[in-house]
Amino acid sequence: MTAPAAAPPALDVAGVTVRFAGLLALDDVSFTVAPGTVHAVIGPNGAGKSTCFNVLSGLYRPTAGSVRLGAAELTRLAPHRIAALGVARTFQNIVTTQGTVADNLMLGRHALSHAGFAASALRLPRAVREQRAHLAKAREIAELTGLGAHFDAPVALLSYGDRKRVELARALCLEPRVLLLDEPVAGMNAAERIRMTEVVREIRAELGLSVVLVEHDMGLVMRLADEVTVLDFGRAIAHGTPDEVRRDPEVLRAYLGTTTGEDAA
Amino acid sequence: MSDLRPHLLKRGPLLLTALLLCALPFYLDAFWLRIGLFSMAAAIGAVGLGLLSGTAGQLSLGHAFFLAVGAYGYVWLAGEPGPGLPPAVAAVLAVLLAGAAGGLFSPVAGRVKGIYLGVATLALVFLGHHVLLTADSVTGGFNGRSVPPLELGGFTFAESDPELTVLGVPFGVEERLWYLGLALFAVTWFTARGLLRGRPGRALVALRDSETAASVMGVHVARYRSTAFVVSSMYAGLAGVLLALSFRRVVPDYFSLALSVDYLAMIVIGGLGSVAGATAGAVFVTALPLLMTRYADQLPLVAAPGSGDGSIGPTEASRYLYGAAIVVILLYAPDGLHGLARRTRARLRRRPSAPQPPGTGPVPAAAAASAASDTTARAKEHTP
Repeated sequence: MTAPAAAPPALDVAGVTVRFAGLLALDDVSFTVAPGTVHAVIGPNGAGKSTCFNVLSGLYRPTAGSVRLGAAELTRLAPHRIAALGVARTFQNIVTTQGTVADNLMLGRHALSHAGFAASALRLPRAVREQRAHLAKAREIAELTGLGAHFDAPVALLSYGDRKRVELARALCLEPRVLLLDEPVAGMNAAERIRMTEVVREIRAELGLSVVLVEHDMGLVMRLADEVTVLDFGRAIAHGTPDEVRRDPEVLRAYLGTTTGEDAA
Repeated sequence: MSDLRPHLLKRGPLLLTALLLCALPFYLDAFWLRIGLFSMAAAIGAVGLGLLSGTAGQLSLGHAFFLAVGAYGYVWLAGEPGPGLPPAVAAVLAVLLAGAAGGLFSPVAGRVKGIYLGVATLALVFLGHHVLLTADSVTGGFNGRSVPPLELGGFTFAESDPELTVLGVPFGVEERLWYLGLALFAVTWFTARGLLRGRPGRALVALRDSETAASVMGVHVARYRSTAFVVSSMYAGLAGVLLALSFRRVVPDYFSLALSVDYLAMIVIGGLGSVAGATAGAVFVTALPLLMTRYADQLPLVAAPGSGDGSIGPTEASRYLYGAAIVVILLYAPDGLHGLARRTRARLRRRPSAPQPPGTGPVPAAAAASAASDTTARAKEHTP
C-alpha cells in the first residue's frame, strides 16, 4: 500500500477539447495541477467543469488534447485503468451503491485488492485475509472522515452531508494520488461545510495528495485552493492564485457579476 | 471475535436446518423427496440467476438454455451415443461446458446492459430448443434421452448397486439423490455467499447501482459483466445436471422459455440479490405445482389432472397462484420473501429489547436495517 509515499506526479491538462454534436463543451482547456496542491476549477453553471472532470476520470474521451499524469496518458485509458493509477473522484450528485458505509468504502478498495470470483467463492484464506485487512483500512478512513460511528449503517439512512462524506471516504479508500472533488459541499448547511473543509484540509496535509476541486462556494475555494482555473463557456479565461483570480476583471465580469469580492462564506 | 457464543448463535439456525434436512429421508416418502430434489436443483439454478439478475442487474431470459446445456451435457458425456465418460467426470465437465457456453456469449453479455441483455438471451432459448429437437444423435430429438445414473467410487445413485438400508430405511434413488442434492446445494450456498460478500459481489452491486461509479472506482465493467454471466451459467449447468439425474430422462420441451420465466419468478418472489431469497423462491415455484397436482381433488376450483373438461388444471392453477404471488410481492414486499423474513425478524428482535437501556437502541429504521445486514455483530462491537 502506497499511502504517503513520494509526491504525486503532476497532472497536466493540455488543449483538451470536448465536442458534443454541435456543442463545444470544452474549448482548448489547459492547466497543470502541481504535485500536492489544491487546484480549483470554477465557473458559472454550464461552464464545462463537470465535463472536465469526466475527461480526467476517463468517462469522456476528448475530441482533442491530452491529459497526462506523470508519464501516463489518461485520455487513452478506460476509467478503471485510471482509477488503478490512483485517480479517484466524487460526484456532484451523490452516487453511492446499496448497502452499508462499509460496503461502499470497500468498493473503494477494489482497485487495491485482488480476490477474484474463484478465490472469493471458495473463500480461500488469501481472499479472507485480504478482505479483513482492507476492512480495517476502510474503517480507518471512515474514522478519518468522521464516519466511524456510521461504519455499519446503511448509506440510505444517512443524512445528506454524511452521504457526501461517504463519497469522499470511498474515493480516499482508493489511496489516490490525485483526488477529484466535484462540488464537495453543494447542498450542505454552514456547519457541514466547515466540517467538510476541515476534512479536505486534513487529508491533504496528511496524505500529501493533489486535489482538483470543482466548487461554487467561493469561500471554500478561497480558503482551500492554491491555484484556480476559471472556466466560462468551455474556455479557460483565467489562471492564478485565488487572490489574482479574484481581482481579474474578466473573471469578475463572467463569473462574479459586476459586484466586487465574494459573498458566500 | 474470539468468543464462540455469538458465532454459534449466528450459525445455529443454519446447522439446525442442515441437520433437519439430513434427517428428512428417514421420514418422508418418495413423493416428498422428489419435491425436495427438484426444489434443490431449482434453488441452485435460481442462486445462479440471482447473482446475474439480482446482484449484477443483468436480466437473463436464457437461463433455460444453460440448464439444458448442463443436463444434456451430462447425458451425452456419460451416455452411450457419446464419449461414455465416468458419470462423475461427465457431471463436472457438464458444469464447465455450461460455463463455456456462457463464455461464448460473453462478448454480448459484457457489453449489453440490463433489459437489453434479456432480449439478447431470449435468442439463446429458441436456438437451444431448436438444436435439442434436431441434433438427434446427441440429444435424442423430441423424445429426449434417458439419463445414466451418477456413480461415485463404486456407489451408484440408483435403486440398487449396492443395495443399501440405513437404520431400517431402504435407500432408493430418491434417498440417495437427496444427499447428493443437499451436498451440491451446500456447495452453491457456500460459494455464492462467498462471492456476494467478497470483492466480486460488491463490484457487481456497484455495477447494478451505477456503472459510472463502479468504473471510476476501478471495476472493469465488461469483464465483471461477462464473468457474472459465466458464473451464473455454471450454476445453471449444475442445476441442469441435478435435474437430469432427478428426472432420469431429459426432454427438449422442458427447457423452454417458460422455464426461464419460472426462474425469474423464483428470484423475484424470493427477493433479488440474496441467496436465501433465491432458495425460498425456488422452493415456492417448484413445489407449488407438484403439490397442487397431488392434492387437486381436495382443492376447490381445481380439476384433477387429465380431466380435460375445460376447467383449470393444477399446473395452470399454480401458475395463476404464483403469478398472483408475484403481483402481491411486487406491490407489498418488493424485496421478496427474503426481505419480508428479514423485517419480521428485526421486528421480533426489537420488541423484547425495547424496555432495555434507551441509549443503546438506535432509531427503529436503523435497527431494522442493521439487523438486516449480516454485520449486526460488528455494529454492536463498535457502538460505544
